[in-house]
Amino acid sequence: MTAATIQRNRPSGFRISKRVLPYLLSLPALLVCIGILIPFLTSVVYSFQRYRLSQPWARQFNWGDNYISFFTDPKFWNTLEISLLYAGITVVLELLLGLGIAMLLQKRSTLNNFISIMLLMPLMTAPALAALMWKLMTNPGFGVLSYLASLIGLQDFRWASSPSTALLTVVLVDIWVYTPFIMILLLAGLRSLPTQPFEAAALDGVPRSFVFFRITLPMLTPYILTATLFRLLDSIQQFDIIYAMTQGGPGDTLTVFQVEAYLNFFQSTNVGRSAALMIILWAITYFLSNIFIKNWLRLRERARGHA
Amino acid sequence: MEHTSLLERILRGIALALVVIFFMFPIVWILMMSFQTNETILRIPPQLVFEPTLANYTALITGKLMTAAGTLDIAFMRNLWNSVFLSVTSVAVALLLGVPAAYAFARHKFRGSEDIAFTLLSFRFAPALLVLLPLTLYFQKLGLANTYIGLIWVYQLICLPLILWIVRGYFEDIPADIEYAYRIAGHSWFATFRKIALPLAGPGIAAAGLLAFIFAWNNFVFALVLASADKQPVTVGALAFITSSGIQYGQISAAIVLSITPTLALALYAQRYLVEGLSLGAVKG
Amino acid sequence: MHEKEKDLIDAFLRGQVDRRGLIKGLGAMGLAASTAGTLLNFGQTRALAADFDWQAHKGKTIKLLLNKHPYADAMIANLDNFKQLTGMNVVYDVFPEDVYFDKVTAALSASSPEYDAFMTGAYMTWTYGPAGWITDLNEWIKDPAKTNPKYAWDDFLPGVRKSCAWNGQPGGVLGSDDAKQWCIPWGFEQNNITYNKGMFDKVGVSVPGNMDEMVATAAKLTKDVGGGVYGIGVRGSRSWATIHPGFLSAYANFDQKDLNVSADGKLSAAMSTAESKAFHKQWVQMIQESGPKDWSTYTWYQVGTDLGAGASAMIYDADILGYFMNGGDNKMAGKLAFAAFKANPAAKAPTPNIWIWSLSMSNFSKDKDATWYFMQWASGPEHALFGATKMDFVNPVRQSVWNDQMFRDKLNKSYPGYVEMFDVSAPGASIKFTPQPLFFDLTTEWAATLQKMVAKEVPVDEGLDKLAESINGQLKEAGLG
Repeated sequence: MTAATIQRNRPSGFRISKRVLPYLLSLPALLVCIGILIPFLTSVVYSFQRYRLSQPWARQFNWGDNYISFFTDPKFWNTLEISLLYAGITVVLELLLGLGIAMLLQKRSTLNNFISIMLLMPLMTAPALAALMWKLMTNPGFGVLSYLASLIGLQDFRWASSPSTALLTVVLVDIWVYTPFIMILLLAGLRSLPTQPFEAAALDGVPRSFVFFRITLPMLTPYILTATLFRLLDSIQQFDIIYAMTQGGPGDTLTVFQVEAYLNFFQSTNVGRSAALMIILWAITYFLSNIFIKNWLRLRERARGHA
Repeated sequence: MEHTSLLERILRGIALALVVIFFMFPIVWILMMSFQTNETILRIPPQLVFEPTLANYTALITGKLMTAAGTLDIAFMRNLWNSVFLSVTSVAVALLLGVPAAYAFARHKFRGSEDIAFTLLSFRFAPALLVLLPLTLYFQKLGLANTYIGLIWVYQLICLPLILWIVRGYFEDIPADIEYAYRIAGHSWFATFRKIALPLAGPGIAAAGLLAFIFAWNNFVFALVLASADKQPVTVGALAFITSSGIQYGQISAAIVLSITPTLALALYAQRYLVEGLSLGAVKG
Repeated sequence: MHEKEKDLIDAFLRGQVDRRGLIKGLGAMGLAASTAGTLLNFGQTRALAADFDWQAHKGKTIKLLLNKHPYADAMIANLDNFKQLTGMNVVYDVFPEDVYFDKVTAALSASSPEYDAFMTGAYMTWTYGPAGWITDLNEWIKDPAKTNPKYAWDDFLPGVRKSCAWNGQPGGVLGSDDAKQWCIPWGFEQNNITYNKGMFDKVGVSVPGNMDEMVATAAKLTKDVGGGVYGIGVRGSRSWATIHPGFLSAYANFDQKDLNVSADGKLSAAMSTAESKAFHKQWVQMIQESGPKDWSTYTWYQVGTDLGAGASAMIYDADILGYFMNGGDNKMAGKLAFAAFKANPAAKAPTPNIWIWSLSMSNFSKDKDATWYFMQWASGPEHALFGATKMDFVNPVRQSVWNDQMFRDKLNKSYPGYVEMFDVSAPGASIKFTPQPLFFDLTTEWAATLQKMVAKEVPVDEGLDKLAESINGQLKEAGLG
């Protein structure tokens, strides 16, 4: 309709076909990324090989053996379980906390704006270094957090060093680093919501809980989905915090995908197994992101339809 | 929102105070440690009172670290410069590539557009380790190993999808009618893009750029594996204070403070855009 | 160079002026401290130049990959002398220890020709050697045309030198006749006791002489020193680094091994014997009673930091970790003492497992002869003496340095018991692991098992049986068992 009008009314001169333009615009971005596809495919090939850098003579295709061995390997199932658990816990907690904080800061004021930027500081600290600092702060002797915990009666709280509290501790650090990311996205969402529905609800005396669940949350869903998507897919690949805090221990408590793959690659130089682990992780993230994006697009279409 | 009871205001205040304490306490503690040496940092139990020293910052900035074994050269300022350079150029390149693409996806529903968009996004989720070994091999062959260009290229994996996804949403939510009107008036496509679409999407672009900047800034595995010591970012540089003659907590803290500062300054400067820009446009209704 | 400066330096070399006096003196003459380091060794360099064509590779440049370490610092301080001696140029990349080996693996696995030589640990060469990343250095060491006559290969401590040589056969004996010299030892660490003398005196305990005594002493220290101080610092992180220091040294003292090698060269796990189980029980008990509370996250720098800050009363770890904690701005600087440790009452002498920082030559180097010029200088007797006496290059790997009175005096002055400890334990010092390509897999799992035992998630006996079973499975799968 309008587009056709434009075509006809265009002044003379150099014309780019309407059909080609979008491809031209997105091509450079795609080309830059496609370069990564080649190493990616190489890794897929590795994952079908028996390939240890320290035993080059034994390198050969073993086809699915790397993958098949996972099925009977309790360590792999432990890795899968703990990765999903970690991602699940961190994302849910960060989402709740992030939403809560965003609602506290929703009102536009200089103080609120300032606080929201200050709260971004954990996100600006490189996770590996942040973990190093948390490790010091939770040291039983020198650690200020251990000291504070002992003041409230937790004399023997072992933080990351005990299997029963290690997950809790790394989750805590993850929350500290990444909740601000969710907070800032949701804050942006909250502040951009149209005011009419809320004013109408207030006039009608609708209960606050009803407003929250029936108006705020649904309107906020696209933001929640975006935040969850980025966070979930990062969290399931968490490495820096876990490795710096516990190296996957104690025992096999925190041997998430990236930690296992890192150890397999850089220490054992077992490239085949490391690649297979990463491919499975990639498949999981691909699957999850597909679900999220489908929903996201549907929601947006619906929102557009209403508008 | 206006008619809040006193009790609610108090409760909100308390909640906000708790939030600020939880997120800011470690930062404040790190800031305090950056003015101390191990002698006062490592006390049992930890104490608040200390005599502040600028020694850590002096060592980092002058590049001379005095130890028992003599004076050591450290390259922290070089690391800081590398971080600034890599993050800024990577984000700039990502904006240059990503914004037009985002516009294309938002404005022109073309064959395979969703698939291409998703493919681009999915690179964000490829585990870095997966591509690292083959990448070093290919970089070696292409002569990209140990070059800033190579690094900036790889950093696109972090920056580009984030920018694309956020800016695209922003473009989509800007009513297309404004642009049509401008084009009907006889302006070219490019002029419309430059004069209308870009300014309208400004906050979105700024916010996406800032987030991409933060993620690029925090990365270290790419530079570590693909480049030599003179191209390493602060994240690698700060680890140099874990030395054989002990871990220098004061200097690591000072390094963290110095490495947060540029990003924080940027965020404060772009404060206005940040929150507004992440709202994905959202000029509905 | 001016006469005055030369005189001052010669006076220093004769021992008439101390280091501070020298640097102060040179500073007064307008020389910076860094230049002073170079001049220091100028005398030795002049002596080195005789009888060998050091200038054969003049004008060439080689590049090194170095770990941020006092050894590297000492080398860099003396590097100008090498440049003068050979007319070569040397550039280097220094990476933090935390990420150093990741960088090495990345560079070598990509067959990068960027680095000609690099620092490594001997264990790592069990990966790098078979992978074809590094060169057998015998070709150069044994060639009089390429190695200067004063190099004195026999001067290297035999246990250390042999620990860097392996024939590449999984389970092969280190230093066997057919072994390849994958790296040249540079500096090494024995695992012994460093203790806080004041705390020992306060509680009235003496240095433990065997494992039983160590468990008891550590427990008493934990109980009686007070102020949150614990008895013994050992590493506990989920890594090979937990196994190789004190733990393996004591384990080996009870004649226990990591792996059995059968007559036909097959490997199998050796840690489920009765003696091994008894030892593991003692070790685990010691950590539970008197180790650091967050032991399972502990790596070398935490073990060291605690000792240096007075949070622990002793460590059973690398001697040089204690050495560094006895200096610098550590609270306990000057208050630490050293002792050799023999875990098994029935054993004749200590058997410390060792960590060896060494130099390897990259197989992808474009000029190996030139690279060897650097390596023979850096591992030569002159630089070793310079590093040991003027810098913190401990422990030197050459007997001649240990015989040097100036070096012994320097240690005796500030590091009580160090020389004696060395003399007692050095004859038994070597790598106690079985060289094989799965080294990192097996030791990481071993550490994880220890963590489970200390956390009481699994009883010691059962844990070791499971560990042995798992290791045997992995060895079989890799075609080694």
